[in-house]
Amino acid sequence: MKFIRVNMSKKNVAVEDVPQEYIGLGGRGLTSIMVNAEVAPKCDPLGPDNKLILAPGLLSGTPLVNTSRISIGAKSPLTGTIKESNAGGTVGADLGHLGITAIVIEGQAPDGELSFLRIDRNAEASLVPAQAYRGMRTYQLVKEIFEIYGESNSVLCIGPAGEYQLASASIQTSDIDGRPCRAAGRGGLGAVMGAKGLKAVIVEQGGESADALADPEAFKEANRTIVKIVKEHPMAGQVMPALGTAGLVAPVNSMGAFPSYNARKGVLEGWEKISGEAMAKLIEERGGNTTHMGCAQCIVHCSNEFVDKDGKYVTSSLEYETIWAAGGMTGIVDLDTIARIDYLCDDIGVDTMNTGVAIAVAMDSGYKEFGDKEAAVEMIEEIAKGSEFGKILGNGPAAVGKHFNNDRVPVVKGQSIAAYDPRAMLGNGVTFATSPMGADHTAGNVVGEYLEQKLDPLNAEGQVEASRNLQIATAAADCTGLCFMAYVALGSPEGGAALLKAINAKFGIQLGPDDVPALGLRVLKAEREFNKKAGFTNQDDRLPRFFYEEPLPPHNTVFTIGDEGLDSTFDF
Amino acid sequence: MKVRINLYGTLSARIPGYRQSQGIEIELPEGATVNDLLALLEISESQKAVVAIDGRIRKTSDKIPCGAYAQVLQPIHGG
Repeated sequence: MKFIRVNMSKKNVAVEDVPQEYIGLGGRGLTSIMVNAEVAPKCDPLGPDNKLILAPGLLSGTPLVNTSRISIGAKSPLTGTIKESNAGGTVGADLGHLGITAIVIEGQAPDGELSFLRIDRNAEASLVPAQAYRGMRTYQLVKEIFEIYGESNSVLCIGPAGEYQLASASIQTSDIDGRPCRAAGRGGLGAVMGAKGLKAVIVEQGGESADALADPEAFKEANRTIVKIVKEHPMAGQVMPALGTAGLVAPVNSMGAFPSYNARKGVLEGWEKISGEAMAKLIEERGGNTTHMGCAQCIVHCSNEFVDKDGKYVTSSLEYETIWAAGGMTGIVDLDTIARIDYLCDDIGVDTMNTGVAIAVAMDSGYKEFGDKEAAVEMIEEIAKGSEFGKILGNGPAAVGKHFNNDRVPVVKGQSIAAYDPRAMLGNGVTFATSPMGADHTAGNVVGEYLEQKLDPLNAEGQVEASRNLQIATAAADCTGLCFMAYVALGSPEGGAALLKAINAKFGIQLGPDDVPALGLRVLKAEREFNKKAGFTNQDDRLPRFFYEEPLPPHNTVFTIGDEGLDSTFDF
Repeated sequence: MKVRINLYGTLSARIPGYRQSQGIEIELPEGATVNDLLALLEISESQKAVVAIDGRIRKTSDKIPCGAYAQVLQPIHGG
């Protein structure tokens, strides 16, 4: 258990034991509690006082399946709030294999200076000058990194958007095949990394200094149970390998909750052309892979490899939220264009969601027509060029709305909503409004409750409670390093017991079922505390006006959860 | 009564020659419920399939309106 603290101002790297106050924390729990404790809430997110913290989950680096998530935390330049965004790929597991609990990036390099942080398989870390890679896109960057250091490395990096310090800039991580196609997309954390002067973190694979398991036999038993449960789960074991998250296009359109044409309609005309079913058929016909292992130790294989008509790789993995942002919101019902947009966003290093929605706001403002494929691609290329319009677009939907004097911008705290319209899925609106992260579907997504008929999406009753419970559960899940798909599969009493057993067997502790929500609550409290100190109040936990006033077809409903209801979400 | 159906997720694999663009049409007795529809399609409870009609997920005991268009879906908890 060790921290690597990197001071970009002084160019030094220090290894330290995990301080007492952070022991037992991982993933989002560690990044958020640490940001709350160590970052001045009113600091400039792009200045030397912000810290960028990279933390694998509590179970990352163990043999447990599907535990390769890495959490990245800082104060966000997009929202001004605390931020945690997590990504898959391989780097989380590799840091775990080296016994690294967190990398903490502090200070700020002099303007114009760029470095790599290299960590070898002995966990020796050093800063390496990287001036030559200025402005380089992520796919080329990873290729050149592999030429120098070899392919047995995991890379976490930024593209040009991060170097420009744009508010939608992502941090990309490499997948099993060494492609920088996994993203900690939300909150502009790539801009924080760019502001620090850090272009990439390169971690050698094959480390053998993972923290020892306290009870290896019990851990093995827990792993066996978890594998069985995940494999047999209808979503994780069947739908995900077949369609991935793109399988949501049909259910959400069928419920009239797919925000389309900048959230003017709840059903996209021609959505069948960009559904998960259509995507899988097209990939199969072209010889791509409809199912693919993207992340270390994954047994779900929800990833895919989208190929063009000649069978050539375009992007991996085409996901639901990206299909929505680049397709639904823009009215582009063409998978080839959406896949191209996905690739470009990964390559330039911007969040596909914030960027797709920014394009939609530009279209809604009359800059281009909805459905204009070429215009959408050209707009994204503007980000890489660093043009004036590219900078506006790369700063997200709110910046675009301001530029065009259009206040019809679907964001909360500056961050775009996700692919569930708050007027037709009220609980998701509660999560968007109240999450400490700004609008964020990963913070407590209620869609599964609606599809399993536990809750009526159009009835206000029970929505706040559902959002609260899911926000607490998700905050705990984000500490573990488990991916969402596996975590959902472990929602049964048997699954929950197996997960607890694995955690207890790793650390030699005796957590009970109540300790999991307690952890989630602790994380949320730290996040809310940071935001409060940064100046946020309940008045910031609101949706944009048009969600309350403009009925959404086909149900023609508006968001009906009142301020009092929203303010009761965090009544703890 | 005739009911037009589209199947999503992995559910269509059970019907040879199924084409998403066309879906299928089935015959159900008047007053048939969502449960009857799922039984006819041989979709077991363990698959947790649900049926949407007119933009709403229907309870298994709900009667299917004559001439309905039904979308048979599988729950997914997030993207």
